[in-house]
Amino acid sequence: MRDARGLGEIAGSAAVWLLVVLACLAIFLPLVLTFYLSVFNEQMIVFPPHGYTLSWYGQIAGKFGAAIWSSLKIALVAVALSLLVGIPAGIGLSRYRFRGREALSTFLLSPLTIPGIAIGLGIYVLAVWIEERTEIVLAGSMRLLILAHVLITMPWVIRLCLASLSNHERTTEEAAASLGANPLMVVWRVTLPAMRPGIVAAALFAFIISFENLEINLFLVSPGVSTLPVAVLQYLGYHIDPLVAAVAVAQIVVVGAALMLLNRFVRLSQVLS
Amino acid sequence: MAKPRSTTAAASIFLGPATCVVLIMLVSPLALLARYSLDKFDPSELMIEAVTSANYARFFTEAFYYQVMRTTIGVAALVTFLCLLLGLPLAYRLARTTSRWKSAWMLLVILPLFIGSTIRTVGWMILFAKSGMMDTLAATFFRSHVDLMYTPAAVVIGTLSVNLPFMVITLQSVFEGIDTRLEEAAQGLGATPGRAFWRVIWPLSLPGIGIAAILSFILGMNAYATPVLLGGPRFQMMAPLLFWEFNTNSNWPFSAALAFILMATTLLLTTLANSIIPLRYRA
Repeated sequence: MRDARGLGEIAGSAAVWLLVVLACLAIFLPLVLTFYLSVFNEQMIVFPPHGYTLSWYGQIAGKFGAAIWSSLKIALVAVALSLLVGIPAGIGLSRYRFRGREALSTFLLSPLTIPGIAIGLGIYVLAVWIEERTEIVLAGSMRLLILAHVLITMPWVIRLCLASLSNHERTTEEAAASLGANPLMVVWRVTLPAMRPGIVAAALFAFIISFENLEINLFLVSPGVSTLPVAVLQYLGYHIDPLVAAVAVAQIVVVGAALMLLNRFVRLSQVLS
Repeated sequence: MAKPRSTTAAASIFLGPATCVVLIMLVSPLALLARYSLDKFDPSELMIEAVTSANYARFFTEAFYYQVMRTTIGVAALVTFLCLLLGLPLAYRLARTTSRWKSAWMLLVILPLFIGSTIRTVGWMILFAKSGMMDTLAATFFRSHVDLMYTPAAVVIGTLSVNLPFMVITLQSVFEGIDTRLEEAAQGLGATPGRAFWRVIWPLSLPGIGIAAILSFILGMNAYATPVLLGGPRFQMMAPLLFWEFNTNSNWPFSAALAFILMATTLLLTTLANSIIPLRYRA
């Protein structure tokens, strides 16, 4: 009896370990393979390769430079704008108690729950609608991409600001006010400095969200303006070679560095769930 | 303290701009999309203003679209099941480990979340491609060919890989919130670790597990990059179909209808799933 139970336990824990290993494979295998392919000295995928080279990394700028540059520009401007709009919203939601506050908070975070493909299509048709009536060219322009990215990054800024204010003591603000500081001064000199780690985290987070977006960009890019994820997707439609793997690795490294930095300011696992 | 009126004014200064962003960039686009989904479509004249349910009717009457929706739901459900199966043990280990590498492991699991699904699919394409890694290995050792590229299995594996980190991170925080003394008590009373998990941890974490599963299901329903890249042109799921109708056919009314059908179906199924979870376990 005892032995049977012991055997069952061993089989059980072996099964659990197998599942853990499979999970790690499912998450990390593609990343490792991408690293591996990016140093192949081959034009295509051939196993085993005849040699290894780092030269593919040198060719990234030529093929994907324009897309990387516009992705960076869009992300930087969108982050700045979404901080400008999102930080006050975060302060407002945590400071004021009013009827419908819960509903407003859900409303402001709703871009997170609507599928990107629907948002992208909607913004495109609205841009064309506006263009037909005002002759302001929006569809396929950089401005529209930036505005769309403000929409999807702002909820993260609000969430991170709310999180950083959840333990904030209002008494310092009240003290500053009673000593004669006007409300704007209180926010500038007391609230914002207290939120600094949260704001840095929000900026990094928003940057990553904007940089990796695919679905919304699909509808808003034009022959003149593309972004890195769209360029990679289009390239993969025709060929898979070490060059595209090198681009992928470059992106993994950039995002990884941003995350390590981010991890110093907030506990990432808490923000995400 | 400030008077109510000035409080309202201050609150609207703080919250007004953000509200405007969501109104202009989310509510009005979706409202216009809803209107367009009732328009008529003609291949030569494109969109014609009308009020018709033809686009929605077309989806529900043609077998092809029914098939696409079935594939989408099937992939999302299977991926969610596999995510739970693989994610639960890893998340539990991560939550309960006292290793000093814990935060490094957490960072490793979080990293893929922020790498776009396109980039993460590249690795699977290397593995699955014709004369790719798996094919070559199989030819060398078993003298046979494995061609997973452009199969439903490839799409399921690719989507699983994209969703799994979300699942693990969500579940990890659920387990983290459960007092370890409960398991210790169960084991102290003679339960094996497995029994302690099923009888104590599982019921306590069920609401959180439900949330994680619903998240994974939604991500699967909306997947774009994995079906396009790993499923190939003949494998159809909702998001790629929507983009194809928009981009290739220029059929805006129908793609607008598809967007609402996709959102409504997802909402309906997640609400249904939520109602299956017993009342006492709900979040």
